[in-house]
Order: sequence, then C-alpha cells, then structure tokens
Amino acid sequence: MPPAYQNRIELLQGTLDLLVLQTLQWGPQHGYGIAQCIRGGSGDTLQVETGSLYPALHRLERQGWIVSEWKLTDKKQRAKFYRLTRAGKTQLLRERSRWEQLSDAIAAILNAVRTEGEV
Amino acid sequence: MKLPLWRRRQQQDLDAELQSHLQMAIEDRIERGETLEQAETRALSEFGNQSLVKDVTRQTWGWTGFDDWLQDVHYGLRMLRKNLGFTVAAVLTLALAIGANTAVFTVLNTIFLHSLPVHDQSHLVAVKMTSASKSERSERFLPISYLNLKDLQGQNRVFSGLAGYSPPFSLPLWQGRSSQRVFAEVVTGNYFEVLGTSPAFGSFFASGEERAPGANPVAVISYGLWQRRFGGTPDVIGREIRLSQATFVIVGVAPQGFLGVDAIFGPDVWLPSNMTEQVLATAMRDALTDRGKPLFFGVGRLQTGISSAQAESDLKTIATSLAREYPGPNAGHSIVLQSASMAALGPYGAGILFGSALLMTLVGLVLLIACSNVANLLMARAEARRHEIAVRISMGAIRLRLIRQLLTESMLLGMASGIFALLLGYAGVSLLSSFRPAEYAQNLASPKLDAQVFVFTLLLSLLTGVIFGIVPALESSRAPVLEVLKEASRSLTGSQRRVRIANVLLVGQVALSLAALIMAALFLRSVQRQSTADPGFQTHNLALFPLNPGQVGYDRARSENLYRRVETDVAALPGIDSVSWASNLPLWERVAADVVIEGRAQQRKSDTVGSVVNTIDLNYFSVMGIPIVRGRDFTESDDERSMPVAIVNETIAHTYWPGQEVLGKRFRFAGGNFYRQIVGVVKNSTYVTLGETPQSCIYLPLRQNFSDAMVLYVRTHGDPAQALAPIERHIHDIDPQMPLDDVRTGSTIISQAMWGTEMGVGMLSVFGLLGLLLASVGLYGIMSYAVNQRQHEIGIRMALGADRARVLKTFVGQGMKLVGIGVVAGLALALLAGRAVSSLLYGVTATDPISIALASAVLVSGAAFACFIPAHAATRVDPLTSLRES
Repeated sequence: MPPAYQNRIELLQGTLDLLVLQTLQWGPQHGYGIAQCIRGGSGDTLQVETGSLYPALHRLERQGWIVSEWKLTDKKQRAKFYRLTRAGKTQLLRERSRWEQLSDAIAAILNAVRTEGEV
Repeated sequence: MKLPLWRRRQQQDLDAELQSHLQMAIEDRIERGETLEQAETRALSEFGNQSLVKDVTRQTWGWTGFDDWLQDVHYGLRMLRKNLGFTVAAVLTLALAIGANTAVFTVLNTIFLHSLPVHDQSHLVAVKMTSASKSERSERFLPISYLNLKDLQGQNRVFSGLAGYSPPFSLPLWQGRSSQRVFAEVVTGNYFEVLGTSPAFGSFFASGEERAPGANPVAVISYGLWQRRFGGTPDVIGREIRLSQATFVIVGVAPQGFLGVDAIFGPDVWLPSNMTEQVLATAMRDALTDRGKPLFFGVGRLQTGISSAQAESDLKTIATSLAREYPGPNAGHSIVLQSASMAALGPYGAGILFGSALLMTLVGLVLLIACSNVANLLMARAEARRHEIAVRISMGAIRLRLIRQLLTESMLLGMASGIFALLLGYAGVSLLSSFRPAEYAQNLASPKLDAQVFVFTLLLSLLTGVIFGIVPALESSRAPVLEVLKEASRSLTGSQRRVRIANVLLVGQVALSLAALIMAALFLRSVQRQSTADPGFQTHNLALFPLNPGQVGYDRARSENLYRRVETDVAALPGIDSVSWASNLPLWERVAADVVIEGRAQQRKSDTVGSVVNTIDLNYFSVMGIPIVRGRDFTESDDERSMPVAIVNETIAHTYWPGQEVLGKRFRFAGGNFYRQIVGVVKNSTYVTLGETPQSCIYLPLRQNFSDAMVLYVRTHGDPAQALAPIERHIHDIDPQMPLDDVRTGSTIISQAMWGTEMGVGMLSVFGLLGLLLASVGLYGIMSYAVNQRQHEIGIRMALGADRARVLKTFVGQGMKLVGIGVVAGLALALLAGRAVSSLLYGVTATDPISIALASAVLVSGAAFACFIPAHAATRVDPLTSLRES
C-alpha cells in the first residue's frame, strides 16, 4: 500500500501546485478549505489526498510562493491559513501558461490519433 | 535523545495543523447530518494514514534525514536495552573479534605505517649495495663502504641530502668500574638533517662536525636512555659518557619513539661517523679508509621532482663507474633504492610482510565468523520481533526506513563492541609487549594505540555493523503483514526462508573456521618441526660469553693472550668438557662475504658466492658437536707464518665441486689478494635461523684472521646455567673490568633467535582458537534456533509415539549434514590458501594430513556437540507443553 500512495504524490505534484496556487488567488485559505475548494470546483472529480496536499503546501511555502499564519476561522476555530505572495502570483501565471501549453499539446496529439483512426 | 527545539516546534505546528484539518472535516460532516461517531470514523478514514502524512510532509523540510536518524538511534538504544541478554552476547562476540583486529592492526601500524618523527617521509629512500650475482636465490642488500658513500654523496645529482647509518652494534657504557651493554649506531654528520628530525633536547650533529677522525667525541642519546640513565633531566647536555674506550660529550636527545630508519629496533646512542675507529671492533676499525669495508646503509632525501626510479638510475651509473675505478672491492656490485617504509622493516622485511598478511587474514576470518554469529542471533531475534515490525509496516512505515532503523541498531551494536574492542586490543597489545625479550626490550618499537588505531577500530565497528546487520534487516522488513497480524503465524514460508538463510550462514561459518583452523595447524606444526629441527650443533650443554677486548683497549697481543688464558683456565674448571672461541653467535649470523673461486672465469659477476664466515679457534667443532666429514680441523700450526687455510661446509663443497675432491681447492674473498686452501669439510649446521635452507659457510682460523671481539663457547657436562656464574667470576679474576653483559646458555640463544617466529605463531594459535570458539558458539546458536522452530513438530512426533532417540538422531543428522557440506567447502578453501603459503611451511606440506585431520576432528566434534545439546533439550520437553504453547 505505501508505495502506491507515494507514486500518486509524484504524479500529481506539478498539477497540484497549480491548483493550490489558483485556489489561493481568491484569498487566504487553510488546508482543509483548499481541499474542499478543489473538490467542489472540480465537481467532486478531483479528490486531494492529505498526503499530497500538506507536502505541497509546505513545499510551496519553502519556495516563498505562499506564506502561512494561524488565524481563527468563521466558526472561531484556530487554523493555519495560507496566502499567495507576490512571487506566488508570478509563479501562478507561469504555471498556468505552461499548463495551457501542455494541455493544448496533449489535445493536439489526441485529436491527431483520432483522425488517423478514422481514415 | 531529543530533537532540537526549533524542530520540535515545527512538528508541534504540523500536528496542530493536521488536527485542525480533521476537526473541520468532522464538524462539516456533523453539519451535514452525520452522527458524531460516523463523522469521526469517516473523517479519519478520508484523512488517511496520519503518521505517513506527517512523514512525507516533514520530508519537504529538509534535514529530516538527521531527525530520523536521531529517532532511529533513540529507538535502537531502547531496543538494545530491552534485549539485554542478546546485546551482551552480541557485544561480547564482536568485541573479541574486533579486539583481535585492533591488536594486530596496532602492531602493524607501528611497524608499517609508523610515522617516523621525520619530515616528509615520502621523499626518503634507502640506498643499499646489492651483489648482482645471479646464482643466488634472491637479491642481497649490503651496506656501503664509507669511501663509496662519500663518492655517492659527492657525485649524485638527485638527492638534496644523502646520509649513512651503520647497523646497530653493542658497546659497553661505563659507569665507574661497571658497564652496561648499550646499542650504538655510527651515522654521518648529516643523518638527522636528512631525516628532518628535531631533537627533543639539545642539538644534533651539525653537518660540519665530520672533522678529522677521532676528533669529534660527541653523542646523541635516545629518549629511552635519557630517561633510564639520566632521569630525564635537562642538564644531561654537556655531560660526558664513556663508551668502550672513548669519552663522548652528549649534545642532544632524540625525540621520543625515534628509532632511526628502522621501525623495529633502535639504538641507544648515535655517534658521528668520524668516531668509527674508537668504537668498532678491530675488523671494522679502518672502515673509514678501506673501500672494501661496507658499514653504512644510505638514506637519501629526493630533490623535488625527482622520482625514485630516476634516482636509482643516476646512482647505478655512479656505481658502474666506481666498479670500473675500484674493481677490487666494487666489482659485481650495484646500488638499489628501497622505499623508506620497506627499509624500516630491516633485514627480515619479506618475512614480516608475509606474517602480517597472514595474521591480518586470520583475524579477518575471525571477524567474519563473529559477524555471521551475530547475524544469526539477529535472525532469531527477528522472529520474536515479527509482530512489532508488522505493526510498524501496517502503520505506514516505509520498508527503506525500516531497514535503516534495523541497520542503525546493528551499527549501534557495532559501536558498543568497538569500545570494548579498544580495551581488549589495548590489553592484547600490552600482553604482546610484555613478551619482548628483556635483554633489548627498550630498543624495540613499542606499539601504541594512537589516533590511527582509534579510527581503524571505529570504521571497522561500523562496517561490522553493516555486514552482520544487512541480511537480517532485509529479511525481517519483508514480514508478510497480514499473516503475522492475523496470527496465522507459524506459517512456514517466512521461517523456512530464515532457516535456509541460517543454513547458508552455518555452512559458510563451518567452512571459514575450518580453513582458519587448518592454516593455524599447518603453521603450528611447521614451527614445532622447526624448533625441534636439528640445528646441526649441540645446544643443551652450551654456555656463551661474548667478549670484546678491543672495546676496552686491548691490542692484538693482549687479546690473544687473554683468549689463551681464559681458554686454559676455564677448561680446568670442574664440570667443563671443552672450550673454544668463535666470532659468531649461533643463529645470529649473516651472509657476509663474497667468495671468488680459483680457476673460474673471474669476469663473470655470477661467480661470486655469498657465504657466512666464522672465525674460530681450535676445538670449535668438538665443542659444538659438528662432525668433520673430510680433511682435518685447524691446528696450532695454522698461523700467520703458514699457508692460509679454511674449512668449508658441505653446501659449499657440493655446490662448487660436485663429485670432486674438495681438499686442496682454493678460493679468495672478493677484494682480497690471496687465496686460501680448503683443508677440511664439516657437516652443515644452521646459521641464520632454524630450519633454514642450507647456507654456505666458511670457517677461518683465529690465528690467521685475528678478531678482538669473540664469543667464548663452553661445553659443560651438566646444566650450563650452573656454569655461567663461576666462569664469569673467573674471567673477572683475569680482568675485573672486562664487560660481560650478554652471557647466555645455548638454549636461551635459540629461543631468543626464534622469538619473532614464536610470537607470530602464538598469535596465530590464539586467533585460530578464538575462531573455533566463536564458530562453536555460532553453531550452537543456529542449531538451537532451528530446533526451536520445529519444537511443534517435535512435539507432534513425540506425541505420536516417536522414539526419543530417533527424533534426536534425525535432528543431529540434519545438523551434521550441513556441517559436512561446510567441512568440504572449508577443505577446498584451505587447499587454495595452502597453495599460497606452501613456500613458508617448514617440514610439512600444505596438504599435511595430520594438520587437516586434527583441525577437522576438532571442528566436527565441536559441531556435533553444538547440534546435540539443543536437540537433546528439545526431546526432553513434554510433548503436551510444546503443543499447547503453539
């Protein structure tokens, strides 16, 4: 079981970073909130494992793209909130454009395959 | 063992963060209408493995390796404390084996890697003469005469400095009217400068001190002599000491532990070369002016950028021109260079190298056996820890992490053993040092546990930890989680695998131990053969008194008078059979002279013959019990006015005049100008060491070849030890000031000559036995483990009415089958190793059936015992109990 778990973290890494940064664009949020946002935003398709989310958050923080702060939630609970930094915003733009390139490229390949198949 | 504060804070922070995540998830679920219990369970399962989440998150922090390591160490220490019995057994086993390695390494470190207290040893090379004779088995290294050394100093273009030092010789050091024997070396004035040594005290010889011969009576004393004789006081500088016939002023004290170039034996006093005439025996007294009297070994410091090979070719060129210019003393001789570390081993370099390699191999084997023992203990313990490990795996521990954890434990074991090993090694080295012959213990290198030894032991302990830990760690981290947890255990798959591994270890262990035992047995038998070998002369009723009248100022006439008087007076004492004089001590001789045989083409270098030369008085052969096989003994009339004569041993006769009449043949010494006629042939005896390959030996009559340093040989009727004191008194009656510091019986001198070999063999047998002991303990452990594994099966068999004896037979039989495989492998190993060492054995072959049979018998009976005890115990257990337990 454990090795499979780890594999998934590796696979999601780049994408998860993008999703986290994107989510934080709308304002500071804690880990649980981020997971819920991604889940809700994707119509329950994307389930973010805690084992992927927290390493990602801590890594992003180390890279200086987000900063954290303990604050109270709406329901008066202490939680650790993450906020996008200026460098984080730049990074988000960069990651977005890379993602768009990648998905365009993948789409092109997938379409090409379909055309060939039809001939 | 605690984590640093900042790291603990960070972990608490992470804990709180994850906790708040869980809390929020639970509350959300309750809001959506779930019960508290449902919400908690689902949130937890959605969250996943908490410790794993923490682990992977922490890994993004960097430096977690260190944290984990601290944790591992912490946990490892706890486990070792918990299993104290296991820990003690493992540490004891390993400490013995590592300690053996430490002790051997300490000695070798002193001899080989001894960092001379000199400047930049890598640029030092030893310079020696070699006789180019091709008829000899191996190259002989000879000293260089003073005049040749001067020419080499002046003409070479490769050294920044070239110095010479003589081999150590003994001298009387006077204190009032009594004397004490010390060892001295004469060295050129630049000796200490070339070595780059600084004095502990005072100064060394300034280079300019090589003044006129005899006009420079200064001395440098060793640190040891300074302590012993002068109580280590600083005012020793400027004090006078009387050595032999001359008075010297002490100018300096050598640094502690400085032995000179030699790493094993060092002198008490260094004297400048221009005082040679005042301290050496007559034969070498003109060494400063006679090119044919080799006295000095050279040691040179290479100029920067000059390689040893370049230097050698430069010196060889000079040697060639010296041989052309002075063919008498120099023909057939050339120069060779040796590394300073090889020269440091002295004349027995090759033997020491080999013995050391052998010892190192043996203690290495012992260590491997110990590792395999402890690996087995770990495997058996892994069985007990299966549950714990399965739980850890199910909690998400990563296998790699688990392996690291287990390896940390074994390395901790290794380290603990290393500490005890240092203590054991220290004890071992002290024990070894105490065996040094008292006569010259202070001149021998004293092995010390220094930083290098410490590092060696440390690294070895860690390495040991990895070696014995790796297989068990890999094995136990493989635990099939579900099976173990469901306690569907006693499943045969896992334990069968482990039994298989244990079996492989057992076979390997038996093989290694047997090989080590056979090696030890071969060398023991070899030495036993050697020490009981016929030395070729009688040793039991022999007393020896080295006398050195030249050193106390006797001239030739007085010396000859003394020899005659002592001989007649001692012979008249009661209990004395016969008396004679000879220049050599038995078994302390060297191949010293090159011989040219008359009638052979003189130009060919290969025609010079190396030979031992012994100057003897009448009756020597009858005192020593050496039979004369042809011709006659020397007589009164073989003196300076008659024809020069010699007696040779059978080796010379057979080698150079095979099947011919030897009597009447003539030879001369290289560099000499007259021929000697052979008048007798005697049986071979041993000259350099017992059990040596036959050496050439030439005997010369004292009356034709005077020496002022001779040994009085006395053959007694009864115990020679009884005769020592009366004879000593008698000599002192003749001259009360005659130094007699080195009186010995024949048997003593033999055991002293055998000291080095005996030491080596003693160590061999101790380590061989240690190997056997560890192997037996290991066998016992493996067998009891295997039997324990099958306790259940034994119970069933016994319950079904199986005969106890049969069950016992089955189990012992199975164990012995493995032992049998190991024995076969061990024999093969021993045969391979035996081929490598066969040239060093004396009187036994590498396939010596007695050694092999003895070693195998000892091992097999030990193994049988180790198999029998646990199996026997198992059959004693009430079958019901063992069934219920499972």
